[in-house]
Amino acid sequence: MAEKTDVWQGTLALMILRTLETMGPQHGYGIARRIEHTSGDRLLVNYGTLYPALLKLEQEGSIESEWGLSANNRRAKYYRISRAGKKQLERQIKEWEATTEILSRFLTREPA
Amino acid sequence: MSWISVLAARLRGIFGKQRFETDLDEEVHFHLDMLIEDNLAAGMDPAEARYDALRRFGPVELMKEQYRERLGLAFMDALAQDIRYALRTLRKSRGFATTTVAVLALAIGANTAMFSVLNAVLIRPLPYRSPEQLAMLWTERPTQNIREGRSGYWNVEQWRNQSRTFADIAAFDPASVMLMTSAGAERVSLVRTSYNFFSLLGVHPARGRVFSVREQAERQHVALISHRFWLSHFGGSPAALGASIDLDGFPSRIVGVLPDGFAFPFMNADIWEPATTLPDWDAKRAVRGPGSWFVVGRLRPNVTLREAQAEMSTIAHRLDEHGPSLEEKSGISVVPLHLEVTGPRSRLSLWMLMGAVLTVLLIAATNVASLAVARNASREREIAIRIALGANRARIVRQLLTENLTLAAFAGVLGLAVAVAATDFVRMVQPEDVARLREVSVDARVLAATFLLSLLAGVLVGMAPAITATRQGGLLIGPEGGRNVAGGRASRRIRRGLIVTQFALAIVLLVGAGLFIRSLWSIENVQPGFRPDGILSVQMASPGSRPAAERAAVYDRILEQVASVPGVVSAGIIGDFFISGSPEQIVTTEGVDGVSQALRFRRDEVSADFFKTAGTPPC
Repeated sequence: MAEKTDVWQGTLALMILRTLETMGPQHGYGIARRIEHTSGDRLLVNYGTLYPALLKLEQEGSIESEWGLSANNRRAKYYRISRAGKKQLERQIKEWEATTEILSRFLTREPA
Repeated sequence: MSWISVLAARLRGIFGKQRFETDLDEEVHFHLDMLIEDNLAAGMDPAEARYDALRRFGPVELMKEQYRERLGLAFMDALAQDIRYALRTLRKSRGFATTTVAVLALAIGANTAMFSVLNAVLIRPLPYRSPEQLAMLWTERPTQNIREGRSGYWNVEQWRNQSRTFADIAAFDPASVMLMTSAGAERVSLVRTSYNFFSLLGVHPARGRVFSVREQAERQHVALISHRFWLSHFGGSPAALGASIDLDGFPSRIVGVLPDGFAFPFMNADIWEPATTLPDWDAKRAVRGPGSWFVVGRLRPNVTLREAQAEMSTIAHRLDEHGPSLEEKSGISVVPLHLEVTGPRSRLSLWMLMGAVLTVLLIAATNVASLAVARNASREREIAIRIALGANRARIVRQLLTENLTLAAFAGVLGLAVAVAATDFVRMVQPEDVARLREVSVDARVLAATFLLSLLAGVLVGMAPAITATRQGGLLIGPEGGRNVAGGRASRRIRRGLIVTQFALAIVLLVGAGLFIRSLWSIENVQPGFRPDGILSVQMASPGSRPAAERAAVYDRILEQVASVPGVVSAGIIGDFFISGSPEQIVTTEGVDGVSQALRFRRDEVSADFFKTAGTPPC
């Protein structure tokens, strides 16, 4: 298996928002697993930073939380993306696309 | 992602701390349980599953710390913790705490009280519309060495017509008249004003109205009464409006009641009349040059005092040239009203008192600081251990500072109580020479001042012990290290410095007080020109407008009756004991050598035995 790399700083919030947008409401554990899965298991989510990141997003108003029951009848805190969060996500996706586009101009290898 | 919503969320985080903690706990548990389940499903045994889950999750406490830090406002948490700790330690050293709080409270209270006096007298604006535009206009008479002389009415009208810098100018003149009531005769203070006086000040009667133009044109006898007069003579009843009162034999109709607390500086009259009610109004009106009127003016917006003074001086010069020739040149002096009210001497004394009281605060603070340093010396060991264990030095300093700030906060609250009592006392005593003392009270500005003073005191007190306590670092010097009550070398040096400072400040205060007492003493011992011991003086309302012979007969009768009172050795009558009411008169003599001399004097009437009674030594 390829080396698992740590999730880059700052992108964790973005991935959380995207995950919630596509998956719908999910608890912390589920979000982490989904991120790992989406990355093809190449990313390792540091659970230590996950919950502080979730708190930050909640304080900023991008996500909302609610206690509910999990699939196996355990009490869990479910997060869902808010309208403001969706807008935020849109903006950040556009920024990323612009960044990668510019960067690729520099980094594209000329065909030999 | 607005910072406001983040701030709000963080503030909420401070208050819901407990709930957040349990929530986070539960979330973490859930997460771990899920991890364990996954592991079990993958075939691990329970112990291994749990171990692996914990390992993969990472350090839980550290994560919780990070979470907590983001949760609330970190510094508020630390502050709350510091305050709780401070209260605990203070409760343990109750003696120290009570002494400190008491000393600081007295100092803060004195400062607050002094500041509220300063506030009322110097800082608060006068209670008129745009008071910074108001100024007094005085006639200068340089040959008589008078800088602030009263003016003739004709001049006032000329100034008003010719001035571009003043929006309006009004005149007023205090007097006293006899009020005839059913209860008898009573002398009341009265001010006669030009018709624009109240509109210039921006003052409206609480009831009724000001004089109308027609009333003044027809020289009707109308009056405005003060709130105090309204209460005392009409019991506050609305029937006062339209009622008639007898002033010096003329019935005057009351058209309005002035608001409570209205007083033009140095005029606290009961009755206000239009100038036109003067019996000799036509003559008075034509008086040029120096006269008997006080003049107040309102500057136009954005006009500076200098511009106004320059213009008025030009006008004065013009009037001098075109008017009838007076023996002396006169000028006009423009003085802003607030300066007029307080006078340079009161200002100086007030600022000096403020300085003195601040010095007291400094003394109190240094005193308390040395106490605090001594106290901390016995905690050196505790602090050294904490530093050795890795405590952040800045945090410890902050904590010590918080301790002292808490003390100062208590002292501030107590000091406020002291200040309120003191201001009540000042209002009651009211030394005569300082204007506006009636208005002394504890208002928002004063509260802010108290807060700042407490803060200042707290910081002053806290600095010294904080520095000494952490300076030694983690070293416990010698076998006694840390257990010695008196503390290490540095703290001893600082304590000595504090004591020296206290002495220096105390000596400054003592010397200042001594100087004050000395001036008071010399004032008390000024020779008044008569022997005041054993003299009683009585103020009488004089039957002013009766012919001389009648008056003499009345006075004789009065003297007879007074002299016959047992215990009275002799009695005399004079118009005004300090002969200040009558105008100055000048006699110019031409000597044989052609040199003219001007003699200035004031005259009054006395009964035969007056000087004997007063004990004036014959010259």
